[in-house]
Amino acid sequence: MKVRTVGVVGMGTMGQGIAEMLAFKGLEVLAIEKTQEKLQQALRMIENSLDKQIEKWALTQTEKKLVLNRIHPISEYAQLAECELVIETISEDLETKIEVIAEIDKHLSPSVILASNTSTLSLTELASASSHPERVIGMHFIHPVFKIDLVEIVRGLKTSDETFQRTKHFIEETIDKKGIMVYESPGFVTTRLICLHINEALHVLEEGVATAEDIDSAMRIGYSFQHGPFEMADRFGLDSVLAALEIMFRDYGELKYRPSIVLKKMVRAGQLGVKTGVGFFNYNEDGERI
Amino acid sequence: MKVLVINAGSSSLKYQLYNMQNESVLASGSVERIGMDSSIVTQEVPGKDETRDVSEILDHVTAIKRVVDMLVHPQYGVLERIEEIQAVGHRVVHGGEVFKQSVLVTDEVKLEIRRLFDLAPLHNPAHMMGITAVETNLPGVPQVVVFDTAFHQSMPKESYLYPIPTVLYRRHKIRRYGFHGTSHHYVSDQAAAYLEQPLESLKMITCHIGNGASCTAIKDGKSFDTSMGLTPLEGLMMGTRSGDLDPAIVPFTMNKEELLLSEVNSMLNKHSGLMAISGISSDMREIVEAMEEGDKNAKLAFDMYTYRLRKYIGAYAAAMNGLDVLVFTAGVGENSTHVRAAACQGLTFLGLELDEERNKVRSRQTRRISTDASKITVLVVPTNEELLIARDTFSIVEDMKG
Repeated sequence: MKVRTVGVVGMGTMGQGIAEMLAFKGLEVLAIEKTQEKLQQALRMIENSLDKQIEKWALTQTEKKLVLNRIHPISEYAQLAECELVIETISEDLETKIEVIAEIDKHLSPSVILASNTSTLSLTELASASSHPERVIGMHFIHPVFKIDLVEIVRGLKTSDETFQRTKHFIEETIDKKGIMVYESPGFVTTRLICLHINEALHVLEEGVATAEDIDSAMRIGYSFQHGPFEMADRFGLDSVLAALEIMFRDYGELKYRPSIVLKKMVRAGQLGVKTGVGFFNYNEDGERI
Repeated sequence: MKVLVINAGSSSLKYQLYNMQNESVLASGSVERIGMDSSIVTQEVPGKDETRDVSEILDHVTAIKRVVDMLVHPQYGVLERIEEIQAVGHRVVHGGEVFKQSVLVTDEVKLEIRRLFDLAPLHNPAHMMGITAVETNLPGVPQVVVFDTAFHQSMPKESYLYPIPTVLYRRHKIRRYGFHGTSHHYVSDQAAAYLEQPLESLKMITCHIGNGASCTAIKDGKSFDTSMGLTPLEGLMMGTRSGDLDPAIVPFTMNKEELLLSEVNSMLNKHSGLMAISGISSDMREIVEAMEEGDKNAKLAFDMYTYRLRKYIGAYAAAMNGLDVLVFTAGVGENSTHVRAAACQGLTFLGLELDEERNKVRSRQTRRISTDASKITVLVVPTNEELLIARDTFSIVEDMKG
């Protein structure tokens, strides 16, 4: 079954990015949010993002129109019935996710894949909310979805081989990204490694070994990272980094995941990085360093 | 023999049905928005009203089926039975170094077209879908593929190699291929026939100027050099493509503007050319209109466009050590008196004299626009790539029958 129509449930930052990317790749997108206001706001954000891409010459006005025409706002879960794939990408809260998955599940025929864009939660637990847990799989996109061509395909205990193969085919052939297979485990590969990298950099900073600026330069120039650990954390959002570390610290019980004190302090102070304009560095409204 | 010519894109296709007894077009049309629930099939039959049909067409197999249905439709069609289609010819953009002329489709040929997906990722896969779709709908009907690059395979090494490490040529076949070959081939033949001289005896430059634009130097009846390269981005300034520039601009801009590869690619292919300089349009008609109303940017875009065209003509005249015939073809080349006049104005030192009155005549025929005294004959030759595809298909299938 070729995927032509994809449902995106939850139109926050990740949902917007996913919907925009899918529509750019020529797929029809049905988008749903808790309220119509939020949905309209999300569509405006997508339009803004497309305008920014036009400024960078990545798109033309015609292409922008085509992309926007492929994103259809809907208001009822029942309308998802015509999708060949549904991606759930609401906020990272186990109970809400389970409720939403159970609700979506009712309207989909058993052959439709139900994917969750979770980065830390247990897929097996999420799948238990579906009457067909074998069709539930994790599809962890990385922000910004448009630019990052990697997706972690997460298998829960009951995810079937067929669901995995079809998901991999969709990722690699239809949307042209690299799909890596990971088994359920807190933080999978990407979040686990990058959060440890950031956390260790924070320890180096705390110990007074080097300045944030110099640590970033060391990793950027020395090891070809696009951004150093601190700018990376600023771009992810320090609250998200902290939340991921806390979940991993709890689940693995190992000290290396214990979030640095500096990180906690900054989050308490509301210095969350790019989204608040201040983190380890300062940013303007377009997210550029100042 | 009736020959169906198909030009398949990823979400659309165009077709023409030819009666090869008199090379007439029996019907022509297109399928748009393949892959959607509201695809549009449009067919035109000479002397009749246009027919339009909207339906769900999810893939190329269904698209070809609809085309065939349309052709045998009791009311709108032109054929009584499907079997009347005796051969199908396809346009294929990239034939790499393997295909030097049109060929009959075999399993090996299909495999080779697949190998070339890398060099033409936007086009060849779509053409392949068209070929497979015809196989499914018209089993047993011979198919022929006609390549945009084939005509330029006669270029000598000094024309087609780039002065970069040769390992890149060996590993990735990075070289000049050239495009619009079918058109350059067709108009050069037509020009020679019009002048009643053998093509081999003429030094000719053909300028195919439409949305995309390329110049070809034709010597001894063969393509000697052409302005498009590995991809259709090189050479002349075009509607939205930059054409030639200093290759160092690419990494420099990527660094300064923090651009991704895809962004810089899109910038050079979709946001440059006439569009970038004029800020108005990528369409030469609108550029000329704005220029005549006094728009300075439109004038600059026009001047750059024609200056770069003139430079290529001059370069190719030097490359061949002479020039007998200059040909203009395709949308802009056939219709823009302004572009032709501006390009020729600076070539008087070659003895080229444009006849202003002849240049202004609008016609769909091959015509001379230089004065009788001009040392270089300048012609406007309407191109017809579909007819050449039909001719190649016809002759290859006839030969096959023996």
